[in-house]
Amino acid sequence: MTRLRTGRFALGVAVVAVPLLLALLGPLFAGEPGPRGASFTLGDGHWLGTDFVGRDVWQQVLHGGRPVVLTALAATALAYLVALPLALLSALTHRRWLEELLMRPLDVLLAVPSLLLILLAATVFSPGAVGLALLVAAVNVPDAARLVRAAATEAAARPAVEALRMQGETWWRIAVGYVGRSMLRTLAADAGTRLTGVLYLVATAAFLGVGVAPDAADWAVMVDRNRTGLFVQPWAVVVPALLIVGLTMGANLLFDAALERTGKETRP
Amino acid sequence: MNHENGTTAGPVAEIRDLRVEIDGRAVVDGVSLAALPGRVTALVGASGSGKTTTGLALLGEYPPGARVTGDVRLSADGPAGYIPQHPATVLNPARRVRALLTDIARTQVGHLPPGRRRSAARERVLRALAEAQLPDAAPLLRRYPHQLSGGQQQRVVLAQALLLGARVIVADEPTTGQDALTKSRIVDQLAAVAARGIAVVLLSHDPDVVRALADEVIVMRSGRVVESGPAPDAWRAVQAGRTREPLVDQPPFPQADGSTGTVRPVLRIRDLTARHHDGARGTTVVLRAPRLNLHPGESLAVVGRSGSGKTTLARCLAGLHRDQDGRILLDGTPLPPSLRNRGRAHLAAVQYVFQDARAAFDEHRPVLHQVARTAVRLRGTDADTATREALTTLASLGLPEDLVRRHPGRCSGGELQRAALARALLARPRVLICDEITSGLDPITRRGILDLLTSLVRDRGGLSLVLITHDLDTAARADRIAVLDGGELVEHGPAERVLTTPQHPFTVSLVEAAARLTARTGT
Repeated sequence: MTRLRTGRFALGVAVVAVPLLLALLGPLFAGEPGPRGASFTLGDGHWLGTDFVGRDVWQQVLHGGRPVVLTALAATALAYLVALPLALLSALTHRRWLEELLMRPLDVLLAVPSLLLILLAATVFSPGAVGLALLVAAVNVPDAARLVRAAATEAAARPAVEALRMQGETWWRIAVGYVGRSMLRTLAADAGTRLTGVLYLVATAAFLGVGVAPDAADWAVMVDRNRTGLFVQPWAVVVPALLIVGLTMGANLLFDAALERTGKETRP
Repeated sequence: MNHENGTTAGPVAEIRDLRVEIDGRAVVDGVSLAALPGRVTALVGASGSGKTTTGLALLGEYPPGARVTGDVRLSADGPAGYIPQHPATVLNPARRVRALLTDIARTQVGHLPPGRRRSAARERVLRALAEAQLPDAAPLLRRYPHQLSGGQQQRVVLAQALLLGARVIVADEPTTGQDALTKSRIVDQLAAVAARGIAVVLLSHDPDVVRALADEVIVMRSGRVVESGPAPDAWRAVQAGRTREPLVDQPPFPQADGSTGTVRPVLRIRDLTARHHDGARGTTVVLRAPRLNLHPGESLAVVGRSGSGKTTLARCLAGLHRDQDGRILLDGTPLPPSLRNRGRAHLAAVQYVFQDARAAFDEHRPVLHQVARTAVRLRGTDADTATREALTTLASLGLPEDLVRRHPGRCSGGELQRAALARALLARPRVLICDEITSGLDPITRRGILDLLTSLVRDRGGLSLVLITHDLDTAARADRIAVLDGGELVEHGPAERVLTTPQHPFTVSLVEAAARLTARTGT
């Protein structure tokens, strides 16, 4: 059992490390862009060939991870930054109207398909990378808030919370110190799947041209632009696509293994 | 289920020299036991004495990571059944009782032609339910487990075991937390099971039930057998004090200073009504208490069956039940119904100790830290003083420093209950409300906690106690008793008067049930 778990952990680290390191450190090693060559060629000094406008694919790969990864991480963090206080507030209040006021508007947002919302907003505002992160975070808030609130409501109903109230503890200590701490596992599990979902959403949006320039160095944009030459020069599509897949899969594996670990530790 | 009563003389289950070690520490050491058909073998001991581990060994279950030596043998003609302390935990909540039982019965009618299987299974289910003392159970079959009472759940689990053809049944603390009426019914039920020639292994720390039922008694302490033999002998040994088992007379709480008429009550309840919200169905009134006083230094026991509203009364006083009308006056000033609106002084004045001590502690922080916070928050002391004070209070309750620096997960239920008391006491309360704080504990631990309360009332001048309990023995220690039935305050008065000359029919039946249980046990 332990060996299996450690194995999965190592696999997760390995799978996620390649795209993550490429994304974060890639731009440091990319160097100056060379002169443009012919489109969709192989060899000729280009390790992975050239892309649709004749740029070196390896260089594009080195540059193109950062926007995807940073946007996804920022969007996930931002989503929780909004969802957590909302959910804790509504779970710990005994005022029915406050709870309704906080949660009902989110239900409306939840009913609209997220990609549709992003595309709609994109046609009106034409956002940049920051705008994309904000949009993706916004569509994730209702989801995250609901889940966190469900977990928080359960923890908030425990006698331990009543005992803390009986001691005159502050709201902060009860909400963050106890309720937040108790639902950490649920939160971690959700963060794993949510990060995957956000990555998917960011990549899809970039693929559809939201928030990025049409010739930007971006893994998702690369897949979109270079697919016309897929059969002439497959690397320009396959490599960035594989990197995105590796990132989502590895993140999921990693969270899974990490959760099993903490589960083992906390069980008496 | 055909078997001849009494002819099978050999044991249906046997344990020889069992030793179970966890992390090098023996939780069970050299225990032997033979379960004979139609006989009740009682394993008696405090919590942590290893009786549950021994009982579960009969089912082939051991704690994870345990090293087991010794011999556990089960007769071939039937498995062992297990009735856990909380039967709801083993009943699938998503399935009706009929499905739960039919699933088992169906496996046993496979030899019949397909057309007759359904009716045969149904017949078996009804027979098993009747044998488990649930006759006329047809309406129950349509219910889900959560729609049954605790006692009914227990009997459904028993019916499952009987359906499986269990020849030995392990009952784990079947009467813990039950009132006298329910208790005597459970005793009847287990006696009926034994009368059918099934071996019963009773794990209990309830002396009344053990004396009423047991043919053989095995007394355990810290994993070892300290006394065993036929019931009368073993009990004589217990009484002679050789094994230091409890059920000795309990001293009463110190009396309040004589003339309660002249002292102003610390807490007054006037026309209190409490309601519960039932979703769409609106609200139900669960408690009506027109008038109740609590004087300084006095202890008041609130007794009643489960569901009688006694916990609701306690929660109203503590400010944990918001949906209430009427007034609760502390020294003449009304207390806000919700503790969120109570100030520090009011919070400190009325403190509440929860029934489930483990659930009332944060599992991620050391016990000491949580106890000390009371002084910081409610009395405004600084952290160091609070910690010192907490250590002193905890030590006076018998909890050493190295123990309370642990997390709650590594303390026993009794230890946590003491710590919970310390947590409340650090507020220097005027009124201490104890909600069934001894019901899940074994007699030694329970006695210890009750003695502790006694000395608290004596030493801390003016501390008043509200003791919520279903146990008349515990209630008898208080100065006054209030009896609740179906949410109505049916009787209250001095403890002795209520117990000797009860006036309300419900109190009469409660006192009689307790007396009957004692009479059956022959003391």
